[in-house]
Amino acid sequence: MHSRTGRRVRRCLSFLVPGAALAFGAREAAAQAGTGSPARIIALAATKTSQLSVIIGSGAVQTIASLTDNTTNNFPTPVVITTSWDVNPGQTNTVNLMAYFTTPAQALVGPTTQIPASRVLARMTTGLPVAFTAITQNALGGIGTAGGSLRLFAQNISGVNKKSSRTDNLNLQINLTGFPTLAPGLYSGTLNLQAVTQ
Amino acid sequence: MQRPMNRALAAAAALAFALASTAQAQVGLTSNTATVTLNATKSSTLTVSPSTATATLASITDNSNANNFSNVSLTTDWNLTAGTSVRLIGWFATPAQALVNGTALIPSANVEGGINGGGFSPFTGAAVGGVGVAGGSLQLFSQAVAVANYFSTRTDVLNLRLNLVGFPTTSAGLYTGTLNVQAVVQ
Repeated sequence: MHSRTGRRVRRCLSFLVPGAALAFGAREAAAQAGTGSPARIIALAATKTSQLSVIIGSGAVQTIASLTDNTTNNFPTPVVITTSWDVNPGQTNTVNLMAYFTTPAQALVGPTTQIPASRVLARMTTGLPVAFTAITQNALGGIGTAGGSLRLFAQNISGVNKKSSRTDNLNLQINLTGFPTLAPGLYSGTLNLQAVTQ
Repeated sequence: MQRPMNRALAAAAALAFALASTAQAQVGLTSNTATVTLNATKSSTLTVSPSTATATLASITDNSNANNFSNVSLTTDWNLTAGTSVRLIGWFATPAQALVNGTALIPSANVEGGINGGGFSPFTGAAVGGVGVAGGSLQLFSQAVAVANYFSTRTDVLNLRLNLVGFPTTSAGLYTGTLNVQAVVQ
């Protein structure tokens, strides 16, 4: 008797359970339709590195064959400088070209005496020092040395020229007017040229 | 709902930070350093500067050495790196014709020079260090030089005269000539 009843119960369940499962599954499917997942934000950051370079086209070695005391001595040929940049105009107001001596008191070193930066003058007719000016300014934006620098140009930057270049001629001169007579010999030095944005 | 919002804010903050970092990196952007080599040579110098270009003798007296020209001041400047002496040489290009008056000639042997009143000697010496003419030159001074005075100067008074003692009587007229004064380092 018990065993017959048990078989009937199992038979009924065998019909009911699948139906219940189907009904439950249909309700879940109805809940997922038209529902989006929570938004996820992925930050994208791609950096275009700004470019700034200074190239000397000609005149990287300047020579005065014979210095004359107590007068101005011009280097015969200009230094031709090309400055190129590719910068963000929203973050750059100007591109500046600086000329400087590492040790202003010894711009050019001779056999027994030195020629200081105050006696070396530069002119860039297309830049800021349109007349010969002593290289005695201070550093700009960390470029240069105190008392041994000269700002050659300040190029304003806008969207139009955010990627551009310019070529300038730099004339150099040694002014020995009033300077003690130099001992004979070779006087050598290095003038640094470097651009910096502001 | 709250968690997605927090994540969105965090992501936005990260993006803003990244952009801010980029902006900071561009301020004061510097280029490479290009260099210009400067070379200037100062040559050794040696110059003689006379105070006047003309020495005159108003009236020649024959058979006498009392024929003094007006004095000439000579400044000799030097700026050297080597050498042991600076020498000042006076010389006539053509010793036989130191002064000329038409066909009348006074040779350099009858022209005497000295400096600073130290006595007279005729211009009959040899060239010194390639400066001068054989038989028509006179070393006026020899200044020792060394490192201590490689850059220096001196000024001297050049005394000149005609010594016509025993010389044939000169023709009347103007006698002119050119005395060269040149310094040399030895």
